Amino acid sequence: MIIDKRDICALLDAIGRDEQVYVPGSVAGVTQFVEHEPGVEPLLDVRTTKVPPKELLFPKAERLYRWKTHEGHLSIEQADVASRPFTVFGMRPCDVASVERLDQVFLTKGYVDEFYQARRQAATLVALACERTDPTCFCDSMGGSPTRAPGADVVLRDRGDSYRAQAQTERGQRALDAWRAAAPDAVRDDEPGEAPDAGDDARVTCSLTVDMDGVAQAMPGLYESPMWDDIADTCVTCGTCTFVCPTCYCFDISQDTRAAEGSRYRCWDSCMFVTYTQMAGGHNPRADKAPRVRQRFMHKLSYFFDRYGENLCVGCGRCIADCPAGVDITRVIDRVGAEAAAMRGEVAVDG
Amino acid sequence: MTANLTQQIRDRARDLLQSGTVSCFIAWEPARFEHWRTPVTIESPDEVDRIVVDEWCDQLIAKYALQRRGDGRIGMVARGCESRAVERLVADRQVSRQDVYLVGVGCTGMLDRDGGAPLKKCEECQRRNPVTYDEMVGETVEEPRPYRFGEVDRIESMEPEQRRAFFDRMFSQCAMCFACRNVCPACNCRSCFADAERVGWLEKDFGLDASRYWGLMRAFHTGDRCIECGECERACPMGLPLMTLMHKQVRDIDRLFGPYEGGGLSDAGPDPLRSYRTDDVEEFM
Ligand code: SF4
Ligand code: SF4
Ligand code: SF4
Repeated sequence: MIIDKRDICALLDAIGRDEQVYVPGSVAGVTQFVEHEPGVEPLLDVRTTKVPPKELLFPKAERLYRWKTHEGHLSIEQADVASRPFTVFGMRPCDVASVERLDQVFLTKGYVDEFYQARRQAATLVALACERTDPTCFCDSMGGSPTRAPGADVVLRDRGDSYRAQAQTERGQRALDAWRAAAPDAVRDDEPGEAPDAGDDARVTCSLTVDMDGVAQAMPGLYESPMWDDIADTCVTCGTCTFVCPTCYCFDISQDTRAAEGSRYRCWDSCMFVTYTQMAGGHNPRADKAPRVRQRFMHKLSYFFDRYGENLCVGCGRCIADCPAGVDITRVIDRVGAEAAAMRGEVAVDG
Repeated sequence: MTANLTQQIRDRARDLLQSGTVSCFIAWEPARFEHWRTPVTIESPDEVDRIVVDEWCDQLIAKYALQRRGDGRIGMVARGCESRAVERLVADRQVSRQDVYLVGVGCTGMLDRDGGAPLKKCEECQRRNPVTYDEMVGETVEEPRPYRFGEVDRIESMEPEQRRAFFDRMFSQCAMCFACRNVCPACNCRSCFADAERVGWLEKDFGLDASRYWGLMRAFHTGDRCIECGECERACPMGLPLMTLMHKQVRDIDRLFGPYEGGGLSDAGPDPLRSYRTDDVEEFM
């Protein structure tokens, strides 16, 4: 299916009549996914939005249940888990890859998070392949590619004045059929004989690259490495890197308590915060910066890999761009590689 | 900033470390991309060639001294903002002046690493030369003392509803990451009210009430100690115009108790919001 760029807004208006559509936009100068408003052009030229689309599936805060006491009786009201269908339009391939990571966490290994599952099943993911990359992008070092988004239902590819939309799942095919029905003037069929485009890893590449070979295997041996102290010297342990990260999924459970009623909700948390590991008795196993810094990178590059066979980093580069102190995960990865090589060297010499 | 400043600072850092005058030296080093810098704490004279000091050093480094307390004297490069931050930390009894060794440099302002435009915080800077130092490298620079209350004027001239909408919009974008606090030299409490989870001062639901409350409490708590370095605003990943509130307070204090510059310029005080005098004006009561 071909959509002329000048018809994108009309198409989104039409999809938006049946369900909510989220598109890249900007609020107070912060690029993020916003609900499409009729007639408002989405910012499809922005590559990674400042705020990732993660919160559409995993909100920053989400009520779990409410409680109330009345004349000595306690009543609990479960929060509604159902979600109405919605479309996320214009996700970059790294962000689609991040959803696959979240799926692992919230839907596999015998754990199903009903809240996440309800949103996930309601979502149609429409990816927009990248024709160019930013200096901080390194998705193709992390198992991704600027031109492919295998986890998306539909993928859009830029053809200059138009986009070509291809369905990759049944849900995606249904979406294209619905678009055709809802906005017949905004879309047209592929040119006769046009072959499916599977993306081309060699055509668009990232200028920033890292060598991930052996990194996950080397990490456990670096647990006591002084490198974490060095990085912690620079890191100010704010939560920026974790909150702009599309894959970070840690949450806390907190409560809003009024006199005789209240609610419990879960909310994003950050391993960089001192409160993250604060225990009721007062002990804090990660009271110092270095263990918190180590935890973030261990989780991204080792623990997650051990459990799911992938890294918990999709190479979007957001944390690099937004860290106020200039901490850069790709420099950490380089350093892990170098330390691992040195360790191998030592073993060889000793042996 | 002069072209050979980096070399001069490296030489001084090496001497200071070699002679044992300082136990470490805080400066910047290049990050991965051209013009990107990151703070570095150098401990060995052999490592001083990592240091770079030029117009791309966007982070304020003075607060890193806190994590080195007790390790011996801490050396650091001190532009106007670092020197004022050190005065702040001294006034707040976080370090003593003898604990730090300041290699002062006059500063002509930093540039944005991505586009080369002057940083906003530097365009508003009132003190480009260090207000305190142990030695100077290079010449002092001119002090243009630009007008820094333009945004305050604009917001003050708004109708109340407009102003409310301005701040609601601003705080609605807060990520609650606390970068503003963590980089602020006046935010030096050992534990922050925002982290007192058992008390629960601050709701964790990322709602506008929480972010507005956080933003206002942070601003008030640093109100008469803010040194106007603009580091909170630079660090904020969401681009919140945090200096509007800080500048507003500085100007109000100046008008009510003046003459006053953010945070004072020495540890001699006064700290207008925390001093008590029986003959105080108290016009507002
Ligand atoms: S790495 Fe950067 S963004 Fe992350 S906690 Fe440290 S200073 Fe904040
Ligand atoms: S760790 Fe950084 S680069 Fe990797 S996915 Fe998260 S924000 Fe993106
Ligand atoms: S740095 Fe910005 S986003 Fe983070 S808590 Fe402060 S105001 Fe909010």
